[in-house]
This record gives sequence, structure tokens and C-alpha cells, in this order.
Amino acid sequence: MKKNLILTMVPLILLFSALPYDVMAGTVEEEEIDLQVRAIAKTLRCTICQNESIWESQAPLAQQMRDLVKERLMKGESPNQIRAYFLSRYGDYILLAPQKSGLNWLLWAGPFVLLAGGGLFLYRTLSRWVAQAGAEKQEAPPPIDDRLRKRIEAEQHSRED
Amino acid sequence: MKTWHFILVLVVAGLLTLFYKGLWGDPRAIPTVLIGTQAPTFSGPEVRTGEMMSMDSFRGKVVLINFWASWCLECRTEHENLLAINRRFSQHPDFVMLGINYQDRLDDAQKYLQVYGSNFDHLRDLKGAISIDYGVYGVPETFVIDPQGIIRYKYVGPLVGPAYTHLTENILQPLLERRSFPSS
Repeated sequence: MKKNLILTMVPLILLFSALPYDVMAGTVEEEEIDLQVRAIAKTLRCTICQNESIWESQAPLAQQMRDLVKERLMKGESPNQIRAYFLSRYGDYILLAPQKSGLNWLLWAGPFVLLAGGGLFLYRTLSRWVAQAGAEKQEAPPPIDDRLRKRIEAEQHSRED
Repeated sequence: MKTWHFILVLVVAGLLTLFYKGLWGDPRAIPTVLIGTQAPTFSGPEVRTGEMMSMDSFRGKVVLINFWASWCLECRTEHENLLAINRRFSQHPDFVMLGINYQDRLDDAQKYLQVYGSNFDHLRDLKGAISIDYGVYGVPETFVIDPQGIIRYKYVGPLVGPAYTHLTENILQPLLERRSFPSS
């Protein structure tokens, strides 16, 4: 009995684990409006959560915001109009990605400007170091005093002998 | 000093100033965009009676709107002060105070009002639409709307201490006086 059960279950488990998730769950295709809700909701911040969009959040307020997005889409508002509505209520904070306008450009361009500036600084410093090291190499060796020169010559002579 | 040294010092000083501001500022303070804008109208059932109420019926009055919930501890802290505000200003014919019950269960909200008492009306925000319209982040939050329907003041947090005094003396009193004596 136990053996039969195992023999039946093993192929079934293998079959279901091989199927894609949505086939297993028996989900139907998302309607166009749901796709739009998702696209908008992913750009709006859940105001009572820690850096989560209203799409990801399970908070009641986030759910209500998603419902409101859907309601406004059904009324014929465009995604931009809906985002503008939330922006007019909560300000820039509601957008997960800051708008590319005004002082916000500092946020978008700042890291690249700093990276370029840092790279330039590094390049110039390293170039200077390399040039200094090269110049030091080309310089004549330090002079030796007479006593040392005579000793070297004497040693050379003794080797030749 | 070379030019780029000067620029580097300026950039670092700017960044340090920003970090300093960020460290010492209030992380909860989010500037509101609603001050000076037309207050959204709304309607909903009264928490205790179920009677439908609408913001439109308060046009031409100074309206104080307080968002609260029974599960909110800070709302309990300010509750006595809210009652005191209404006791003080309700004699004025142009003053109205409204509570908006936020993300709450009806029985919990009713029990809260029964336990702590209330001398003004409270609307239920059934789908969160009123809270979203007023850009509410959490509770308690308080708004003051002038007789022209413009949002004049918003406060996030419990109305206690200096916040209470500021609201009553610097916001409500002058607004109501201007309303009573338009020539002044």
C-alpha cells in the first residue's frame, strides 16, 4: 500500500515541479488594466512602509492606493495623470524614482559627475607620480668621493691580476 | 592653490553640509505640498450615527480636520486637547471640527469614542480615499481649512505642548478673528 502510494506520488511530484509556476497555479492571463495598475503601482512609494512600492506592500493603505489607481484607470485617466494626482497629494516623496527635473538632476547626474571627477583626479595624480619616478631614474648617479673611487679601482685591478 | 584644488574643497564642503543637514534634521519631516491648495471635498458616514456627512456643507467656515485611529497611541495622547479645542471654539458660528477615522474597524472606533468621549463628529474613511486625497502618511495628522476652502495648516503628530498652543493661538484664533472682523 505504502509502496503503491510512493510509486504514484513520485511521478506526480516530478511532473508538477517541472511545470512553470503559472500553469501550476492555474492563473489566467492578467488583463490589460491589471498590467497598467502594476506598472503604475511599481513607481509609487508606499508612504507607511520602508522603501517599498504600493505594488509590493501588503499594507491596507497600499492596497487602497492600488484600488484607487485601478479606479482612475477605469475612468479613463492616463498613467501620467494618475502619477500627477499622487504627486499633487504627497509631493516628490511618493515617487520611488525622483523626477528628472530641476534640482533633481543633481541626484541623477551627481554620482556620474563625482565618478568622472574622481577618475580625473586619480588619473592626474598617478600620471604625476609616474612622471616623477621616471625623472628620478634618468638622473645621474650620485657622485662618489675619491677614497671610494680609489678603493673600487684597486679592487678592479686586483681582480684583473 | 590650483583651481581644481579649490573645486575639490568646495565639493567636499558642500557634501559635508548636506550630510550635516541630513544627520540633524527630523527624518519624519516631509514637506507637504498641500498648503495653499484647495481642500478636497469628501463625504462619508458618521462613526456613531452612520448618517452621511459632506465637507461641502461646511463651505465658508474654518474647518479643523483631524485624522485618527483607535489603534494609534499618539491619538490618545492628543485626544483631551482636541476636546479642549472644540470646547473653546465651538461657540464660534464659523468653526467646525471633524475627525476622520483612518484604517480602522467600526466597532473599535465606536468603542474608542465611547471610552475617551467626543464633542464633535467623526467620519469613516471607508476606502482610504479621504486620507489619500489629503496626502496623509499616518495618524494623527491635523489640517486647518480657511473659509475659502484653502488648506492653511497641517501638523503631523500629536497636538500637545507647543504644537497645541501654536495651533490655537497662531492659527485658529487669527483665522476666526479675521472671519468675524473682515475690516481688521
